[in-house]
Amino acid sequence: MLLIRHTTRFLTLLAALLVLTISSVRAAEDKNGSPQREMELLAVLRSDAPDADKALACKNLAIHGSDASVPDLAKLLSEEKFASWARIALEAIPGSAAGDALRKASESLDGKLLIGVLNSIGVRRDASSTETLIVRLEDKDSEVASAAAVALGRIGNEAAAKSLRPLLASAPAGVRSAVAEGCVLCAERLHATGKSADAVAIYDEVRKAEVPKQRIVEGTRGAILARDPKEGLPLLMEQFQSPDKVFFQLALGTAREFPGSDVDKALAAELTKSKPERAAMIVQAMADRPKTVVLAAVMKAAEGGEKPVRLSAIGALARVGDVSSLPLLLEAALDADDELAQAAKATLGDVRGNGIDAQIVSLLSKAEGKKYPLLIQLVGKRRIEATAALLKAIEHADKTVRGAALTALGETVTLKNLPVLITQATSPKRADDAPIAQQALKAASIRMPDREACAAELTTALDRSPAATKTVLLEILGDVGGTKALETMGAAAKSKDPLLQDVGSRLLGKWNSVDAAPVLLDLAKTSPDVKYQLRGLRGYIGLVRKFPMADAERAEMCQKAFDASKQAAEQKLVLDVIKLHPGIETLKFAIKTIKVEGLKDDATQATLVVAQKLGSKGVDVKELLSTAELNKVKLEIIKAEYGSGATQKDVTAVLQKQAGEFPLITLADASYNASFGGDPAPNATKQLKVQYRINGKAGEASFTEDALIVLPMPK
Amino acid sequence: MANKAIQLPRRQFLKTAVATGSAALLGSTIIPSSALGLDGAVAPSERVVVGGIGIGNRGTYDLGCFLEQKDVQFVAVCDVKEKRRTAVKKIADEKYGNENCKTYIDFRELLDRADIDAVLIATGPNWHSTAAMAAAKAGKDMYCEKPCTKNIDQSLILAETMRRTGRIFQAGTQRRNLPHFAFACELARTGKLGKLKKVYAHPAGMQALMSGWLPPEAAPNKEVVDWDMYLGPAAWRPFNAKQLDGFNFEKGGGFIGAFNGGGVLEWGSHCVDLCQWAVGDCPPPVEYNAPKDGELVARYENGCELIFREKGWIPLGSCPVRFEGETGWVEAGDSGKLVLSSPELLAGREVAEIGGYPATFHVRDFLDCVKTRSQPKGNADAACNAHIACHAANVALHLGRTVKYDNKTNEFIDDAQANRMRSEALREPWRL
Repeated sequence: MLLIRHTTRFLTLLAALLVLTISSVRAAEDKNGSPQREMELLAVLRSDAPDADKALACKNLAIHGSDASVPDLAKLLSEEKFASWARIALEAIPGSAAGDALRKASESLDGKLLIGVLNSIGVRRDASSTETLIVRLEDKDSEVASAAAVALGRIGNEAAAKSLRPLLASAPAGVRSAVAEGCVLCAERLHATGKSADAVAIYDEVRKAEVPKQRIVEGTRGAILARDPKEGLPLLMEQFQSPDKVFFQLALGTAREFPGSDVDKALAAELTKSKPERAAMIVQAMADRPKTVVLAAVMKAAEGGEKPVRLSAIGALARVGDVSSLPLLLEAALDADDELAQAAKATLGDVRGNGIDAQIVSLLSKAEGKKYPLLIQLVGKRRIEATAALLKAIEHADKTVRGAALTALGETVTLKNLPVLITQATSPKRADDAPIAQQALKAASIRMPDREACAAELTTALDRSPAATKTVLLEILGDVGGTKALETMGAAAKSKDPLLQDVGSRLLGKWNSVDAAPVLLDLAKTSPDVKYQLRGLRGYIGLVRKFPMADAERAEMCQKAFDASKQAAEQKLVLDVIKLHPGIETLKFAIKTIKVEGLKDDATQATLVVAQKLGSKGVDVKELLSTAELNKVKLEIIKAEYGSGATQKDVTAVLQKQAGEFPLITLADASYNASFGGDPAPNATKQLKVQYRINGKAGEASFTEDALIVLPMPK
Repeated sequence: MANKAIQLPRRQFLKTAVATGSAALLGSTIIPSSALGLDGAVAPSERVVVGGIGIGNRGTYDLGCFLEQKDVQFVAVCDVKEKRRTAVKKIADEKYGNENCKTYIDFRELLDRADIDAVLIATGPNWHSTAAMAAAKAGKDMYCEKPCTKNIDQSLILAETMRRTGRIFQAGTQRRNLPHFAFACELARTGKLGKLKKVYAHPAGMQALMSGWLPPEAAPNKEVVDWDMYLGPAAWRPFNAKQLDGFNFEKGGGFIGAFNGGGVLEWGSHCVDLCQWAVGDCPPPVEYNAPKDGELVARYENGCELIFREKGWIPLGSCPVRFEGETGWVEAGDSGKLVLSSPELLAGREVAEIGGYPATFHVRDFLDCVKTRSQPKGNADAACNAHIACHAANVALHLGRTVKYDNKTNEFIDDAQANRMRSEALREPWRL
């Protein structure tokens, strides 16, 4: 949920954890824990060590402890501050000693500490403690009795079930819910071990008991699913009839879990009997059983009747429909009710099944009226191969049909037929088809598997196209990308046609692969128009900024960009690039630029940023920095606040302490939170705001969390 | 490799696209809104009455997603921190123009209310599974922020409890309801990339802090901060204000004191969850190796690898995932963009690009499922598997060696140490 701030954190964490692992777990120890480590931890428990150390020793004993640790841990069960820590270990240590200790402790404890121990016995499923728990069922503290009931449920043996069942009727009201929970847990275990009849009996008792409704829901669900399906089904369908929404909802959920196919028939029957608001939900449950669904019932619901049910059924057909659903969906897609029509169109686009595509093509050949463009749309949406039919349709007198066909061609045409679309886009018979044809050509071009071949087709077309459509083809070539497209774009940018120069240079400036660099640099240097030179240069700088490359290569490209720059603004952009990609070679480049007239401040700042970033990675940059002609400054921090909105923390003192002779502040830790003593506004976007003076001139700057603190020179 | 890939042109996100085409793309069970009674004013009987538990920064964002749904009535908030209780009440009361939002310190009182259908659980991760289980047992459906569990056993019990109680559970894994992630997962899941060989998750570093035992400080009045309820199921320790960051407190749980948390859970519960979706929500990997060269490699039973890695991503924003099959690959991230090995994979479909990671669609999915009782995208079984993968990776990370996991017994194989890290006792009186 938080934005990634440091991409290296994971590696750091791995390294840190490995170190900790080696020191705490000891790589050489076997998979059963370390006796030596256990002794060390016990020594902590037996010493006058701080409470914190003892607590963590308990937690470590969860991994390294054995029977030998149990007596020391057991002593802590009566201490409020350590009991939960001790149980962390006692729940984890295998063997009877830990169970014995918990059981013994339960005899003397009361209140929450006793509850904790009973809970742990339950987690350990310690059958030898069954009797102890049964005794506690009668405890006058209802929380204790409840804990015992649930723990018995977790153990789930016959004795546990036997002790709990009578209490469904006789336990105090405050305990009965937990008793029912215990019973359901017991029944679950019995059912899982093949004792379904016993399980059913318990479930039935729970659902008939005077317990909270949710327990009855659980008992009812269990009673339905644990029964033989023939007996469970009537009980399930009974819930569909319940006037209580909770039990209707239970039925909807349980129907999805129910085995066999009889339930699908029952749901189909229930669908016809239910009120629309419930029928709409039942359809969804039916569709969540795709292997056994009674499709005819869903189709009937989709075909006519109450609108909410129709909508639900039409939507459901996307998941369970087949070729037989096609006629009704096509009718619905042309319904006067737009909502029904849209739902049907969505389903038609998504429904899967053998023969659907073939049936659509077959219908297309004889379609008329509104059905014709609808089927054409489906051909496109479902990417059905029907080029011949579409080529025929683009000649149709009706503009809607032609438009649908062009769009569908855009989704389905292969390279072989791409020229047809190119012609439609550049020289359409009817001028008003051009926009949609151009959109279709773009859609087709960017999905061509062989983009070089596609670019070659488009380039050929470019040469012979009318001037007005050349720009359209160039735009599409820009989206296609690749070597051929780049070559064509470079030629356009340097052509004699001002329009092509404009479009070509603009698209080159946005090129998204590093192989455009030479073309852009050439444009920057040789274009007769300064405007296009600038585009080329900025595009070139953008590539240096965006793409991964070796430090030396980046430094070399920065130098080339710098040399080609005719204005300080572009030179500053180059300096921004190196701040993002610090390296030794880029640092050398930054130092070199300090001497450039008018750039001293920016170059100094870039140098410091790069140096600081390298330094934080352990790279020694002192020697290089000593060659830089850096001006020392007098830096004063006036005020600094870190936080979000109204929640601000005064960090003036921290910054004042770290301020030095350069306009850059290095914190003790890369994390602001760590450096400033905690997170003042967790999960919020925070900023550091600094008021300062450099050489007596006042300045202000804000930094996003964990950003490098390089203070701009005040004007 | 990124330079040669096909990056989709940016398309404007249209709400209507998501409401129609993208819903189908997501393999959604979403039914038209009017079928759910959302076409006009929503009758009280069709409203989902919601309460909030632990609504801090993230929770307030989630709450906003709930409040914009016409069929939600938010009626109560519980928080151990007074400031947050009153802040959330103010939001709700201003929304409805009344003063009806009730406040609670103890979430059990909120859960006792029969009128509440569902809860938004956005406490710190220390409380997530315990509160979720309590909510289920109280008959509430829930949207629960992630990480949902602190260890393997909690993950299993969470899934079991939701089944047993018949409740609808939606983990706060909202990327499952974003079209580009859904599309990427669909490509992998449906064989469009060929036989799946590797799925990559980005477990961006998390801070290993906010656990352990800090020096005691004077505790505030219980009305201001109820420290006992704040600690909840976490082992006892004295009050210290530094530990009041619920977002990080005891995150990941289960491991040893000061380095509690493990490296992969915070983001893994998102990106590993997506990887799990890509592999068809099958059981989690069966083998987890110690990290090497910045990668932690886990292996599914069918041989496909789940690789936690930090570097080597195409810059697509946070939470990137990558799925590689024998014939193609896809990578996606929070920018909303997809990069595909071939444009053919797009198969003519338009995938709405939704940058960031809004939860609106995920919340809607949850509310729809509350009504239809279908399983939402971030259901408990899916969350369970993804969390187990993260926890098991953390065990390998912590032990510094390979561990093998048996999905039938839910135990590590021949590894007593690893098995002891599957669960952790809860502080009294809490239980799952």
